[in-house]
Amino acid sequence: MTEPLLSVRDLHVNFGTSEGDVQAVRGVSFDIGKGETLAIVGESGSGKSVTASAIMRLNFGADVRVSGSALLEGQDILAMSEEDVRLKRGRDIAMIFQDPLTALNPFYTVGHQIAEAYAIHHPGTSKKELRDLALDSLTKVGIPEPLKRVNQYPHEFSGGMRQRIVIAMALINRPKLLIADEPTTALDVTVQAQILELISAMQEEHGSAVLLITHDLGVVAEVTKRVLVMYAGRLVEVASVEDVFHSPTHPYTRGLLNSVKSLDSERHSHLEPIPGTPPSLIDLPSGCPFHSRCQYAASLNGQCSSEVPELKAVGNSLSACHMPTAELSSLLRSMQ
Amino acid sequence: MFYFVARRSFFAVILLFVVSIFTFWIFSALPADPAALTCGKNCRPEVIEANRARLGYDKPFIVQYGSYMKGIFAGRTYGADESGVHCSAPSLGYSYDRHECVSSLVAKTLPVTVSIAFGAFVLWMFFGISLGTLAALRRGKWPDHFATVFSVVGISFPSFFLGLLSVLFFVIWTKILPFPHYVGISENPAKWFMALILPWCVLAVLSASTYIRLTRNGILEVMNEEFVRLGIAKGLPRKTLIVKYILRAALTPIATIAGIDFAFLLGGAIVTESVFNLPGLGKLTIAAVVNSDLPILVATTLVSAVFIVVANAFVDIMYGFLDPRVRSK
Amino acid sequence: MKRNRMIATIATAGLLFSACGGSGDGAKSGDETGGRSATADGIKDGGTLYVLTFQEGASNLDPQRVYTGAELGAYGSTYARTLTSYVPAAGKEGAGVVPDMATDLGTASDDLKTWSFTLRDGVTWEDGSAVTCGDIAYGISRTFAAEVTAGEGPMYATTYLDIAEGDSDFGSAYPGPWLATPEQQALFDAAVVCDGTTITFHLKVPVADFAYTVSLLAFGPVPKAQDTKDQYALKPFSNGPFKIESYEAGKEMVMVRNENWNSDSDPVRKPHVDKIVWQYGLDEAVIDERMLADSGDDQNAIVYGGIQPENLQTVFADDTLKDRRTDGFDGFVSYTMFNNETVNCIEVRQAIWLALDREALRTAAGGPFTGEFAKSFVAPLLATDYEAAKLVDGLNEDGTPNVEAATAALEKAKTACPDLVARATGEGLRFDHPDSASWQKNIAIWISSIKAIGVNIIDNPIEPSKYYATINGDRGDLMRSGWAADWANASTVIPELFGKGGGFNYTNNEKDPNFEAFNTKVSAAKSETDRAKQATLWKELNQSIMDNVWAIPGSATKSQNLVGSHVRLAYQWLPFGWYNLGEIGLAG
Repeated sequence: MTEPLLSVRDLHVNFGTSEGDVQAVRGVSFDIGKGETLAIVGESGSGKSVTASAIMRLNFGADVRVSGSALLEGQDILAMSEEDVRLKRGRDIAMIFQDPLTALNPFYTVGHQIAEAYAIHHPGTSKKELRDLALDSLTKVGIPEPLKRVNQYPHEFSGGMRQRIVIAMALINRPKLLIADEPTTALDVTVQAQILELISAMQEEHGSAVLLITHDLGVVAEVTKRVLVMYAGRLVEVASVEDVFHSPTHPYTRGLLNSVKSLDSERHSHLEPIPGTPPSLIDLPSGCPFHSRCQYAASLNGQCSSEVPELKAVGNSLSACHMPTAELSSLLRSMQ
Repeated sequence: MFYFVARRSFFAVILLFVVSIFTFWIFSALPADPAALTCGKNCRPEVIEANRARLGYDKPFIVQYGSYMKGIFAGRTYGADESGVHCSAPSLGYSYDRHECVSSLVAKTLPVTVSIAFGAFVLWMFFGISLGTLAALRRGKWPDHFATVFSVVGISFPSFFLGLLSVLFFVIWTKILPFPHYVGISENPAKWFMALILPWCVLAVLSASTYIRLTRNGILEVMNEEFVRLGIAKGLPRKTLIVKYILRAALTPIATIAGIDFAFLLGGAIVTESVFNLPGLGKLTIAAVVNSDLPILVATTLVSAVFIVVANAFVDIMYGFLDPRVRSK
Repeated sequence: MKRNRMIATIATAGLLFSACGGSGDGAKSGDETGGRSATADGIKDGGTLYVLTFQEGASNLDPQRVYTGAELGAYGSTYARTLTSYVPAAGKEGAGVVPDMATDLGTASDDLKTWSFTLRDGVTWEDGSAVTCGDIAYGISRTFAAEVTAGEGPMYATTYLDIAEGDSDFGSAYPGPWLATPEQQALFDAAVVCDGTTITFHLKVPVADFAYTVSLLAFGPVPKAQDTKDQYALKPFSNGPFKIESYEAGKEMVMVRNENWNSDSDPVRKPHVDKIVWQYGLDEAVIDERMLADSGDDQNAIVYGGIQPENLQTVFADDTLKDRRTDGFDGFVSYTMFNNETVNCIEVRQAIWLALDREALRTAAGGPFTGEFAKSFVAPLLATDYEAAKLVDGLNEDGTPNVEAATAALEKAKTACPDLVARATGEGLRFDHPDSASWQKNIAIWISSIKAIGVNIIDNPIEPSKYYATINGDRGDLMRSGWAADWANASTVIPELFGKGGGFNYTNNEKDPNFEAFNTKVSAAKSETDRAKQATLWKELNQSIMDNVWAIPGSATKSQNLVGSHVRLAYQWLPFGWYNLGEIGLAG
């Protein structure tokens, strides 16, 4: 394998709050290759969005501590000066946010905002060029009547349209990595698919790598090849999309799959939410963070509540579970 | 946009009409007898009755309102033709206590109040917004603590106390400044400035406190907005981000509050004008209250109401220009 | 009308007279007369004198309408000359009148009903034109114009001049110069006759001290061509050493020297400063601080309005201020009137007087600095006519109630007038008073102290501006009031307050068995030309009011003031209870 585009190693993110330290991300490591699509999946609070933000160093705030490294083509973003990071943002790494309704600046026209994204990284571009670029990118993301729309304000667009504009803005500098943080969550089901298609199409055209952050396994199935599953700030499973859907190796992944069954199954009787709630990130349980919700933990004589499981290979996947490899794969397979 | 402005202005005019009737009605319903007030201590009931008829206070409310409105557009003579006093349009009444047409009293006092309001407004907006911005951007650091202390002081001190304290300190004890004595700006700009600097500062300290908090909280709120995060993710330089994204969004609602506050101030900064002895609209009003001088009270109430209604309309229209979301509604 | 803060709710203002250095009661006040600031020590001509005041403006600059003591003196000494004036001097000397625009103090007919004055040569208006007899007659005629002057000033012109009664608002057949028909104007012209430089007044009653009457600014001239009716109060035309350059209520009045005033024509006024600037509407606390600090222009400043009660201790404890402070009577006496027709039983009136906690009332007003318990309806300042009367038996000197004596008096009343006692102790007596902050406090003291003998009070607060107009028609059982003399004669006190047809007699005392004798004596006193004999009569009449308890005397009020350290000749001018403004000069 060639040198990855982005290489995250042992990423930790802690937030200081009045109640105590929130350990949002605890030792996450992964790679993304050039042009690759990778998804991070997890419930809210699993640390997936924080991981994405950390890669862009967007975690501003009073008391945030980030450690580890995030090498973008060999340069550690986490160790750069603020100004160097700024120059990477929008140009090398771009981001799409969850809520297109609030993601655009309400005071400026969409054309202005798209052009601005380009102008920041290409100083000296003429007004005319900028306008042409904005028009062009609106056309590309499928906004009808771009000549009229370019001078309109965000509130004059529907949610789906706005997300297209955000995408246009993110891609105008042909970034090497596009981070899409829940890009479809806030949209109508019918629009979701269109946006996902658009992201895929754009990715193909520009050759960008995509890091897709989602809680929705259905979305994952549509766009990505490889999946990271996060739980309580840790990676619990790393697998291909096929393996995640057909042979999940971690009880939590299995639980996730069951809870979204309704998406691709008409038989609602199979819907099984994961019992219990995710642990508090301030006061984390000892051992495996999932043990209190895991139906297999009892059979392991307390190992789950005392030792933190490391990622280990189970078939083609990596899984952070104490169950012996063979047992685990057979057990999960048997439930299929 | 034209339709928006026209509609807003139309409503302002309707509102003014309603406000004027209401104001007039309130004052006519007060127990104070305007005719009795035209009469000295050797007064006889006959004099009161005669003056009541001369001034038209014996007429039904709606007739009185009609003549008042007519006076505004056509001028009016108060008292008998031979011995009365004529006030030319726009006549707002005649004060028998001050022996002047109320319109000329307003014309004399308004520039003073405008001077006070304008200077104080500039100062408080400047300090309120810059300190509030600094406090928000350096949250938890010393500028934030300074701003917090400043606004607590400003909010908890009554204006008369702060006014009196500043007079004592700057004028009487240290003699840094002369005692405020208002001179028109056209007469002597330097003296005008010297007379107003203390009142400006006192008013500014008081109001700046509010604006520091408003600005600080507004900015902190906007900083959590998704579009600001997206702005950062775009790689916007810090300056552009603060000015075009954060301040623009945080200050737009403040601008509308400021417009109304300014209008209120134009109605007269009663306490400040009294402490610093500035002959403005506020002092005129308070003296009229003391002397139960109804014609002045009616007029100053109407003038203040006009300011507030106009400011409201202006602020709405301005908001339309500042915020595209409002415009299209 | 506006009043000095120190003078709360007073019936009238006017001229005030003094017994400075006189004997006995009241003499212990007025011992602070200003020290060096009252003398001419180091005085130089020129400079600007400042008058600091909390007042929003002049009570009225129109000569026919000025009626506050201090302002009568201030305006008379600067821009409004009259036929006669008070002697510009400190102490008792200041209470005398001397010729001013007139050549002498006037010539009266034997029946004291016709008075003539001759105008001096060279008396001019600020435009250089001569002041004529016609100007004086015109000025006086303005008093009758109810629609403009509205009873703001003294009404002696309407009560003295020989003009028939009629249906004008003031009850005269003459309605003033603007509304008068030629026939009505002829009525006035017959009462005030001009013949060259001689002006003759025909009166309907004998007036012995008419020379004092014409010293009132209301008897001063107004040039018809300059008369702006109500707005004459903004810029009266000057015939004195100062003229009004600008006047703006709420801001300032600037008085500058009148170049057309000729000192040869004026035996009274001796101006020193070039300019007098009145600064209106100042905060009272700020005024006190500025006067205490005494720096810059404030060294050339005087105050119109007195010292704040909370600063009095400081000011009078500090000996370095001895040359700058004054403390003295302001000429007012407050009192409570009985309606002697409804409270027609002297024992009840005595009982109420004895039970009243006068000390509590004075404490509520601000304590001893605000005044002394009055022992006469004539103020101590009216030295000639003042004498402490013998008050009701058993009344405590210290102002505290004597419940025992009061109860005894009420006991007697139970046999003398059982019905009244039943009403007083039952539903109660109605007390009329202006609805002011101070009277809300006072009425509570009244109610609680009278309650000690079982008498109830029905509180009847009246809107202040309508108070006197109201009690002119509808009177309760008790009414508060206050008074100051209009000139240096109790003739402006006793007949006005208690005599038949007195302008301010609200006591309904005419049905009292002792009234006829009293009123006969009043008439005799009014036409008595021997001043000493007249004074004796006033003292006896005052005693008789006390004996009859037609009213309860309250306080002879006092005021305190500070002047800047450069101010000279700021002596208390007794007729006015303030300074002789036009004469004040500056040192250094």
